[in-house]
Amino acid sequence: MPNLPILVIGGGPAGLEAARGIADLGYNAILVDKAEFLGGTPISADYAAITPDMRNTEEAMNEMIEKVTDNPLVDIRLNTIVTASEGEAPNLNVTLKNGKGDEILHVGSIVVATGFQHFDPGKETQMYGYYEYDDVITLVDAERMLKAGDFVRPSNGKKPKQVCFIQCVGSRDRQIGNFWCSKVCCGIATKEAIEIRHLLPDCRVFVFYIDMRMYGFWEDELYWKAQEEYKVNFIRGIVTEITLRGDTVVVKGEDTTMGRPMEVPMDVVILSVGMEPSEGTKEMSNIFDIPLESHGFIETIGGALNTVETKVSGVFAAGATTGPADLEDSISTGGSAAMKSCAFVRKADLELA
Amino acid sequence: MSIATALPPKASTREFIRKGRPPTEDYRELLFELEAKGELEVQRVPEPYVEVETKYGRKKKIPLEFTWHHKSCGQCGHIPGYSTAIFWLNRQFNKDYHDPKDQSSCTAWNYYASSTSNSAAQASVAVRNFAQAKLDGYFPLIHCGTSYGHYKEVREEILHHQKLRDQVRKVMDRLKMPFVFPEEIVHYSEWVHVMADDIAKKQVLDFSNIRTTVHPACHYHKLVVEDAIYDRDLYDGQRTAIVSGLVKALGAEVADYSTWHDCCGFGFRHILVSRDFSRSFATIRKIERMKEEANPDVTLTHDTGCVTTLDKSQFSTQAHGRNVGIPVMSDAQFAALAMGAHPYKVCQLHWHGVDMKPLMEKMGIDHEKAWSEFEEVAGRLKENGTEFMTWEDADA
Repeated sequence: MPNLPILVIGGGPAGLEAARGIADLGYNAILVDKAEFLGGTPISADYAAITPDMRNTEEAMNEMIEKVTDNPLVDIRLNTIVTASEGEAPNLNVTLKNGKGDEILHVGSIVVATGFQHFDPGKETQMYGYYEYDDVITLVDAERMLKAGDFVRPSNGKKPKQVCFIQCVGSRDRQIGNFWCSKVCCGIATKEAIEIRHLLPDCRVFVFYIDMRMYGFWEDELYWKAQEEYKVNFIRGIVTEITLRGDTVVVKGEDTTMGRPMEVPMDVVILSVGMEPSEGTKEMSNIFDIPLESHGFIETIGGALNTVETKVSGVFAAGATTGPADLEDSISTGGSAAMKSCAFVRKADLELA
Repeated sequence: MSIATALPPKASTREFIRKGRPPTEDYRELLFELEAKGELEVQRVPEPYVEVETKYGRKKKIPLEFTWHHKSCGQCGHIPGYSTAIFWLNRQFNKDYHDPKDQSSCTAWNYYASSTSNSAAQASVAVRNFAQAKLDGYFPLIHCGTSYGHYKEVREEILHHQKLRDQVRKVMDRLKMPFVFPEEIVHYSEWVHVMADDIAKKQVLDFSNIRTTVHPACHYHKLVVEDAIYDRDLYDGQRTAIVSGLVKALGAEVADYSTWHDCCGFGFRHILVSRDFSRSFATIRKIERMKEEANPDVTLTHDTGCVTTLDKSQFSTQAHGRNVGIPVMSDAQFAALAMGAHPYKVCQLHWHGVDMKPLMEKMGIDHEKAWSEFEEVAGRLKENGTEFMTWEDADA
C-alpha cells in the first residue's frame, strides 16, 4: 500500500472527481477547499441546471460530493488554503492554513483543481453598462434567478417581455487580451434561453452572437431545440454598446446577416461572461512554481495527448485550471489526474522498495 | 433560496475592482526603450503636472503650463471663440504658454477622407510639430480632437515600425530638426479637466440651474482607448470623465441620454464625403434624442468637429420643423463663461448657429449689453483698420 497521500486542491467538479478516483484506486486523498462547502463554482454561483442535460445542479453535485464525503480514504479539509510548499514530489511538505492555524502535510503528489473565475464585465468599461444599469446582468446572475424559479427585471421586479444574451463578453477579444473562446458560454446561454422561455412563455428571447459554438451533442440537444421548440431568436450580430432610454436598456450594434445597424430595446440584457484563470489558480502557480501558458492558465506539457501533467514532476492540473472547460472536460481531466497522480506515487514507492 | 437573495446586485452596489495588467501595452515604456537605443528623444511632461487615471488604470501626466498650443484648423476657421477661450483660461491663471505661428496642420482630416498622404508623411508632420514645440521650449497641447486621435495612431505606428522611424528620421535630418516625441499626447480638454476645481474657484456665474448633455468625442475616447481619462467618481469609471468632470465642478447638471456613445455625425470621413448623412445623424440621432430625453439648456463637447457638426447641422433641420434647437459649445467656452469671460469678445458665441440668448439669460449674462460692447470694439477696429482684437479689448 502506498504511504504518502495525494493532495487535491479545489473541491469543484474536477477536484471531486480526482479525489474520488484516487480513493477508488486505493490511495489516500486529502481534499482541500477554501470555501466552507464542496462543489466549487456550480454551487457557489448557484447554477440552476447543468449544461447540456438540464439536470438540477445541486442534485448532481451532491451526488459527486457524497462519493467523497462517505469515503474513508478521502480526508476533507474545508475553509483551508494552501500557503507554501517545500521539496519535490514525492516528498513534498505542503503548508495548509485554516482557522486553527498552519499545518504541514507530507504528500506524494498534487492535483491542482482551482478552476476559473467569471470574467468581470467592468473590464470592458463603458461598452455594456454592467456597472451602470440594473437590468444588465451576467449569465451567473441569471442562473441565480433561474434557480430561484423567478426570472424578473432587477430594476422593478416585473416579468420581462424581451430578454437578450450577448455572447463572447470577455472571450475572443483581442482588445482586452482574452484571445480564447470560453467554450461553455454558447451552451449555457442557450440553456438559460430555454429556461427563460419555459418559465415565461410570453417573453421573447434573443441571442446576439459572433458564431455559435455548440460542440457535439449540444448542437441538437440545445441549439436546435432552442430554435425549434422554444423559438429563441439567434441573431448574428456584433453588439457595440448598451445605453438607457427611459427605463429600458437599448442594445445597439450591427446585424451582420442583414448588413445593417440595429437598435433593440430590452427589458433584461444578459452578458455571457467567459472564463478567466481564478486567483487560486494563479496562487498555486506561484506556490508550486508551475509555469502558466500564454493565456494565464496552468500549462500542461503533453498537448492534446496529456492534458493534466505540468512541468513540475508529480504536480498535475485538472478542470478549468488549465483553460476553459465544460463539465465533461472537468470530470474527464479530474479522472485522468487521479490516475496519473496515483501512478506517480506508485512508481515512487516501487523505486524506494 | 428566496427571491430577494436571487436578484442580481443593484448596479449602484456593483463595484468594479481592477485586477491584473492592463490589456494594452504601455506606450511610455516603448518610447523610453527607443530613446535608450538612441532612436529618438522623448520630451518629458514639464512640471508642474497632474497625474490622472486613464481607462485601464495607468496614470497620465497632464502639464499645467509651459504648453505649446497646437491649434485646430476647424476651430480657427469656424468657431474662433473655442481656441480664444482656451487661451483666455490660460491667461486667467497666469500660465506660461506658447501660441506658435509655425505649427502645421496635422493633415489627418484628409487622411481620414482617403484624400492624401502616406504614413511617412503623416508621421513626419507630427514629429515636425513636436520637434518645433521642443525647440520652442514648450510641451505640445493639442486643441483638435482629430489631431489628438491621429497623433496617437501615429505614435502606435512609430513605436512598432522601424522602417517608418527610419523614414521620419531622414525627413527630420533634412529639416535639421531633432526626432522628438512627447512622453504624453495631451488634449486641451485634459488640461481643462485637471484645472476644473481651480476654474470653479474663480467661477462668477451660478450654473446650478443649467442642465447640460455631454458628447465625448470619438477621437478622444474611442481611438487608442487606453489614453483617455476615466474617474471612478464619474459614471463609476465606466465612461470617460472628460467634460462631465468640469460640468460637475461648476455645479451644473449632467443629464444622460441614450445616444451619448454615438458619433456626433462628423464621422472620420463622412463630413467630407457624405455630408447629408452627417447632418441627418447629428440632428436626428444626437440632438433630437437629447431634446426628447434630457431637454438640456446646452450640449457640451470637446472637439472641433463635434461642436461644428452638432451646432451647425441644426439650422437646416430647424427649417424642417423638427425638434432641435440646443445650443452647442466647447467645455473651454463653458468654463470661460463661468469665470466671466465676455460671451462675444472672448467666447464669440455669435459664430454659433443655434440661438444662445435663452441660455445666456439663464446663465445670468446680459447679452444685449454684451453685444453692444462687442459692436463698439468691432466698430473701433473698423475705424482704425486693425485686423484683430487684443486681450486688452477682450478684457475691457
